[in-house]
Amino acid sequence: MVRLKSRYLLCEVNVSDRSQLLLLDDRAIMVAVKAAVARTHGDYGAAMCSIRFCVKYLNAHTGIVFLRFPKRCYKLLWSALPFITSIETRGQKIPCFLNCLHVGVKLRVCTKAQYKGNTNYLQPKTNKQLKKHEV
Amino acid sequence: MKQVEEKEEASVYQRVVLKNASPYHYLKVRLVLEDESTRLSAVELKYFIITGLKSLYGEVGAAVNFDVLKYDEDTLTALLRVYSRSLVKLWSSLTLLGSYQNKACAFRVLQVSRLDPRSSLIIRIFSEVSPFLLALTGNSRDLHLD
Repeated sequence: MVRLKSRYLLCEVNVSDRSQLLLLDDRAIMVAVKAAVARTHGDYGAAMCSIRFCVKYLNAHTGIVFLRFPKRCYKLLWSALPFITSIETRGQKIPCFLNCLHVGVKLRVCTKAQYKGNTNYLQPKTNKQLKKHEV
Repeated sequence: MKQVEEKEEASVYQRVVLKNASPYHYLKVRLVLEDESTRLSAVELKYFIITGLKSLYGEVGAAVNFDVLKYDEDTLTALLRVYSRSLVKLWSSLTLLGSYQNKACAFRVLQVSRLDPRSSLIIRIFSEVSPFLLALTGNSRDLHLD
């Protein structure tokens, strides 16, 4: 049976000003990733990005984003993510960078990693978490 | 049959297999322009090829290391050297380069080989001609079969 294989990247968007995170939009991230891939890998990268690439999930409060790439070229497209310096939404340019936390084969595994990561990988989001970290 | 006998008499056939003899590949290319009077310097040619690599393969492509070893300005023929790993990238971007300063152009690849075509010294050392090196002296692309 022929299967369409993909890889899901669990990424975190890091911004210096937390209030700007709420402005994020999945379409804006898609545009930013496509632009970075086109800049880094040219027409070849842009063509690879056009097949089965999408932003599966975005949480504006925590800055978590799931990206889906096709399996045969996910490493090449992953290599273009560090070149993203800003995301443009609603007329504003938000300087940020993308941190890749986990690569999964199935979306389910990625969501599990996200729950695990809520305590370990991610920066403390609320005051309660901050206090916990201090202690 | 006669030809085979002659071959056996003339030389001892020896098969020499060189694995990964050279990390480079050599490309002999000619730039064909719509306007035949335009001339490019070696630096302009290299920049032109880099722009082609950049449009197709981006920043990573533009970083491909290649050298213009020989360049003839009158015939616009160049001998390029590139690492074997990047041969596909270079060759495909040469194929897709279509315009120079808004004028139509094309890159004709005359020869591709692993061993340096300049090293005719190697051919002289071997008394018998091995089929691997013979490829450099002759050019099968110019061969016309009647």
